[in-house]
Amino acid sequence: MSDSSSLAVAMTGVRKTFGQKVAVEGIYLAIPQGSIYGFIGPNGAGKTTTIRMIMSILFPDHGELSVLGKKSAIESKDQIGYLPEERGIYKKMKVGAFLKHIGRLKGLDSRGLDSVVKGWLERVELEDVYKKKCEELSKGMQQKVQFVASVLHNPDLIILDEPFSGLDPVNMRLLRKLIDEEHSAGKTVIFSTHVMYQAEQLCDHIVMIHEGKKVLDDTLEDIRTRFDPRALHVDPIGGMGMTDQIAQVSGVAHVSSVEGALEVVLDEGIEPQTAMMTLLAAYPMNRIEIKKPTLEDVFIEIVTGGERGSDAEQLRADLLAGAQKDSEEVAS
Amino acid sequence: MNISKIMRVAAREFASTAITKGFIIGALVVPAVMAAVIPVVMVLAMGAQPPADTGTVYVLDHSQEVLPIMQDRLSPEAVKDRWIERFDDASKMAQKIIPQAGAAAAEKSLEQAASNIKSPIFRVIPAGDDTNIEELKEELRQQVASDATLEDEQRTLLAIVEIDADSTKIVNEDEGYGAYQAFFRPKLNEETVGEIKDGVRWSIRQKRYDNAGLDRSQIADIHNVSARESKEITEEGERKEASGIASFAIPFASMLLLLIASMTGGQYLLTTTIEEKSNRVVEVLLSAVSPMELMTGKIVGQMGVGLSLLTVYNSVGIMALIYFNRGDLVSPMTLVYFFIFFIMAYFMFASLMAAIGAAVNDLREAQSLMTPVMIMMIMPYIFFMPVIRAPNSMFSTVMSMIPPISPFIMIMRVASTDPPPTWQVLLAILINALGVIFFLWFAAKVFRVGLLMFGKPPNLRTLIKWIRMA
Repeated sequence: MSDSSSLAVAMTGVRKTFGQKVAVEGIYLAIPQGSIYGFIGPNGAGKTTTIRMIMSILFPDHGELSVLGKKSAIESKDQIGYLPEERGIYKKMKVGAFLKHIGRLKGLDSRGLDSVVKGWLERVELEDVYKKKCEELSKGMQQKVQFVASVLHNPDLIILDEPFSGLDPVNMRLLRKLIDEEHSAGKTVIFSTHVMYQAEQLCDHIVMIHEGKKVLDDTLEDIRTRFDPRALHVDPIGGMGMTDQIAQVSGVAHVSSVEGALEVVLDEGIEPQTAMMTLLAAYPMNRIEIKKPTLEDVFIEIVTGGERGSDAEQLRADLLAGAQKDSEEVAS
Repeated sequence: MNISKIMRVAAREFASTAITKGFIIGALVVPAVMAAVIPVVMVLAMGAQPPADTGTVYVLDHSQEVLPIMQDRLSPEAVKDRWIERFDDASKMAQKIIPQAGAAAAEKSLEQAASNIKSPIFRVIPAGDDTNIEELKEELRQQVASDATLEDEQRTLLAIVEIDADSTKIVNEDEGYGAYQAFFRPKLNEETVGEIKDGVRWSIRQKRYDNAGLDRSQIADIHNVSARESKEITEEGERKEASGIASFAIPFASMLLLLIASMTGGQYLLTTTIEEKSNRVVEVLLSAVSPMELMTGKIVGQMGVGLSLLTVYNSVGIMALIYFNRGDLVSPMTLVYFFIFFIMAYFMFASLMAAIGAAVNDLREAQSLMTPVMIMMIMPYIFFMPVIRAPNSMFSTVMSMIPPISPFIMIMRVASTDPPPTWQVLLAILINALGVIFFLWFAAKVFRVGLLMFGKPPNLRTLIKWIRMA
């Protein structure tokens, strides 16, 4: 493990309880500077509690943690940008005044602050809201203002708790671009989400939290290799009726229908490329591809121990419901 | 603790509370306008009188000698003259109170009012010596029952006055003078009734003087004892006598001002804390400042609000005292103590408000937790009388040493005409300082835990649990 001074965040054996309820337990983390980390897990898994402990808003009952080489975030608050999940805004304050207030609280000098604020508003395409009251903005606009509030003091470490929830696709892309830019500028970015594909699009490292415990901590690449489902997605010209015939092909262990295609699980030791050739030779196909593991699949596999069953389906449904709730928020 | 961040929070807190139209109008303009308007309203009220009563007064004069004097005394001209004279006296008083700027306008409205004076018009008629009082009463009863407006309003029967035969002469040495009795129509103006009663009394008295061979004006002179200003001799020398203002109004006003200023700041603190919490802006703030810095900043900011109120109200009060030439009633030291006690009272009160604000989700939930605080704020009112009567009694001394009500009681004692020894004041300051530290400690714990707790509002037991937790 790398030297702790080059780590943006380090946690060892952290545990936090609220009364009887254990929120997180046995969390070990080593987040190197300059990386982009995704905390994923369903709602209530303990992501926000972990983040609040990193921010020293909550304090762990057990275990140690250091942030930017300091014992706690309190000593380095001004180098951290934080977008909480429950994000708030002074409704009656003007956008410019609000951002300047936060900027000054974050230790920025009053001189030149105005142009910093205006520059950031331009970057999030909100040039003309400077003099508007916060309550006059739409929810999505408010969210962009809040994002600006968390980064305008040019922090080394940016922590974003569910940054995408409630954003429409256009703004989601804009925010993704901004996060990417910050990452490219050498900042450490940590963000949490329960919508796993968002993490896949942005992160180079994933930490998965489930029921207060860390169940996965790896690079996206490693995860893909490790959780290679060794399966193909095929769409035979004969349609879904071909299930039985395909199951007869050598090297195929199991066939099931998934979202308008057939998922073909391969026998141990069979290379996907070989199986593809065999299948193509046997039957004409509209489409055939190697299945890539999604984080959702990985998550479900970890949680259910790789078993397929009602538990897995329930979990998948829960995850989907979470994602859908988000898109509904956007629609409203 | 980062002082510049605390001041930043305080500045926003102050600006968002005090530099708003609502606050400026509510806290500053309204009282100022009230103070300016009250004398004007007084003048206008004098001008706007109810319609004057007009009608007949039957006099059943068994003494046979009071009636002519009464007819004279209650003649419409005589009544009107007296009314104008009384109005002039009142308007002189009012002009004294009205600030210079408003004087011209006031004078104009006074002139207008004077020309509009409507004094009652009486027709004083002898009822005839052989008339039975019951017959007269029956006539009045019928008039009242019919409720009709008489064509000749002078015939409206206003009152019946029966004067005893011995009311002006002592017939029997043991019994003294006789009496009179008056019967009135219901719902007459208070002034009308007063005027009639006064007319009877004045006339009877006049006849008594005459019968006794005394000169009325001479007796009036004898009655009138004038005095030069009374003084109190103290250790330091002479001072003006403690009037009602000095012994009651000033201690009470000081206590009230202290209460209003601490309550205003505290109430705003409660609202803004709840707002920040329910807005969820608090977590954004907590990423930049620590809970303790946030709380301190907010308390300091609202202290600025309370101080501005105090400064304005105090200046107005002191200017008024100086205007009435009683600037001596408030010593500079009292003012210094006043601000010290304000800061202490405010800090204790504000700590509680910050804690409550952080603990609840909305203003409604705050109500139940506010009850003990409200009881605490009412106590100075309850103790006002006993303390002011005996500022140095055992009771007053003990009460002025118990935080959080100590500042309110102590300021009453300090502002009273019989101030406590300095060591007691200093002891109270010391005790309150400890109180402030305790309340801040308590509030800081609740504030830290409460801010991020949403859901069921806490009761006292959960609060104590939080304190252990923090």
